[in-house]
Amino acid sequence: MMDERILLVEDDPSIREITALGLGRAGFRVTTTADGRDGLSRARRDPFDLLLIDVMLPTLDGFEICREIRKDSRIPVIMLTAKTDTTDIIVGLELGADDYITKPFELPELVARVRAVLRRSRADREEPTIQVGDLEIDPAGFSARKGGSDLSLTATEFRLLLELARRPGQVMTREILLQRVWNYDYLGDSRLVDVAVQRLRAKVEDDPAEPRLIKTVRGVGYRLERT
Amino acid sequence: MHRHVAAPARLRRRIAVSFILVAGISAAALAVGSFLLVRQSRLSESVERSLNQARLNLAFARQNLAGRPTPKALRPLFDFYAEGGFDTVVISGSRVLGARKPSFSSATIPEDLRRLVLSGQLAYERADVDGIPELVVGGQVPDRSTELYFFFSEQSLQRDLRQLGFVLGIGWAAAVVLAALAGLVLARRTLGPVARASEAARSLAEGLLDTRLPVETRDEFGTWAASFNEMAQALEDKIAALSEARERERRFTSDVAHELRTPLAALVSEASMVREHLEQMPEGARRPAELLVADVGRLRKLVDDLIEVSRLDAGTEAVRVEPLDLRSLTDACIRSRGWADRVELTGPGDDPVVVESDRPRLERVVANLVGNAVEHGRRGVTVRVGREATAALVEVTDVGPGIPPEHLPHLFERFYKADPSRSGPGSGLGLAIALENARLLGGDIEVWSEPGRGSRFTLRLPVSEPLPGGHGGVAPSEQAEVRQPEKEVGT
Repeated sequence: MMDERILLVEDDPSIREITALGLGRAGFRVTTTADGRDGLSRARRDPFDLLLIDVMLPTLDGFEICREIRKDSRIPVIMLTAKTDTTDIIVGLELGADDYITKPFELPELVARVRAVLRRSRADREEPTIQVGDLEIDPAGFSARKGGSDLSLTATEFRLLLELARRPGQVMTREILLQRVWNYDYLGDSRLVDVAVQRLRAKVEDDPAEPRLIKTVRGVGYRLERT
Repeated sequence: MHRHVAAPARLRRRIAVSFILVAGISAAALAVGSFLLVRQSRLSESVERSLNQARLNLAFARQNLAGRPTPKALRPLFDFYAEGGFDTVVISGSRVLGARKPSFSSATIPEDLRRLVLSGQLAYERADVDGIPELVVGGQVPDRSTELYFFFSEQSLQRDLRQLGFVLGIGWAAAVVLAALAGLVLARRTLGPVARASEAARSLAEGLLDTRLPVETRDEFGTWAASFNEMAQALEDKIAALSEARERERRFTSDVAHELRTPLAALVSEASMVREHLEQMPEGARRPAELLVADVGRLRKLVDDLIEVSRLDAGTEAVRVEPLDLRSLTDACIRSRGWADRVELTGPGDDPVVVESDRPRLERVVANLVGNAVEHGRRGVTVRVGREATAALVEVTDVGPGIPPEHLPHLFERFYKADPSRSGPGSGLGLAIALENARLLGGDIEVWSEPGRGSRFTLRLPVSEPLPGGHGGVAPSEQAEVRQPEKEVGT
């Protein structure tokens, strides 16, 4: 359980040191680097359990690292973002980050988020493939197929589909989806959900104008039909 | 506004009317005067000529009429007269002895004239004979008791005079029309620059600071336009300088806030670790460490507020509107911050107070007002959610020390603190941010305070109708509307 390895990519020396210290005291083995490119090559070379990446980095920014890593790895990624830049948060999640934490943060909060992400990632790896109609959703492989062919969903779209598919036939409110897919507690912008559902329908439905799989429950949220 | 537009047109009309009046009256005086003069001279000339002719005729008659005139004796006389282009009537006693026109009788001769002629004078009178204006001149052949009357036609003279009158009338009318046109043209040329200038002044007032007047002439208007332009230029320069200074200030605030963010992030993490180890610290270091941790919290609040201020200044803040129940929002806001035991919430009963608003923003405003009251009000704080005709309101009342009246007008200014000697936990930006957020939501904040009695802050927001079904607080997202679209999210 303990001794999990974390790679921290953060350019500010103070934040880097105190964060490493805090995570170390919480029982993690932390490797740090200040440079984006260095961070990417270390992440590829060494077996880490989780990556903690700042968005603003010299040589290669956090988004690019995340994009590169996601090409061939499902390793958990947490982005460090500024609270005011909500677009950073959304972009990070779209690129496949598992969570984000806004600066400034207190160390207990960070440790709790890291543990939650590790736990969820382990659970995902052990979760069996979900079958809904001709949809096949594989949480461990982070991929979804329809009638045998890959849907090539973005990270956000996949997580949204997974949340809906875990409880087929059951209505998921926008608030719950925001919380589970985007980890949004304070923004409350449920339009984000609507936009993502539109995009997901375009990939999943035979006719996105006449959705048969993902139904809108007016005024409440969405539901994946059991078929 | 309308009055300003109407004035130049009225003035233009007035100038044109004055021109018409002056030109009309003087042209009329000139025309009438010259007509009368010409008429007078033509008429007296006609009388002079006719009298001379009559004297000649009478002299001729005196030589040729011997004894009682007989028609036969009159013939050479008439033959002679026929050359002269006038008609003649000869009367002897009461008998008409001869007339060139058979219709002439003694009745044709005006009575006044006959009386004068019978008294032996050479006399004349104007008369209308068979519709023809005639000058009738009469005289006696002495001792023969024979009267001769000569009819000189003045038809052509009268026609000439009528024509003259007609021509003068036409001339008068032409003068009036010309005067009207000249008046209008002059008025337009005079008042055009005035209208343009007022137009320009108005667009300056509306904020088009690059408005200028064309300097077309070298007259007073040209000078005026030039000085107007100088004024506009000075104004534009001044405002540009001011807004540049303001922009610099805003950029500075924003830069400072963002630059502070990184070291602050480190400080917050460090402080969180120090706090966990306060117990293990030596006695001498513990209290300073406690203070340090608390001050990092204050600094964090200040930087957060600065960042929010700079975002509000940038004017790019998005407002996401959805129907909200003000009462349940206020209630949740008080509970989640642990103020429930110090704050009494009253409301309008069970009815929801629905407002179209942005939830996080509205929560911040309410939290700020209630937080201030909790902090300053020593005794109970009352929060009342209510409804007025056109507004929903949240009224936060405390029975704290109150605010002296001289501070009230500045309360919402940035970094204004009513008591500079006492630095509270706030950043000094809270109320300024609350007010700006309230205004972003279409509302306002009002303050009442009396030293010794307490203060009351009232947030007013525009109201909407209750939701159909009456269950406030449920916010169907399909009805949510985004006033300012968020930045497009890349995939």
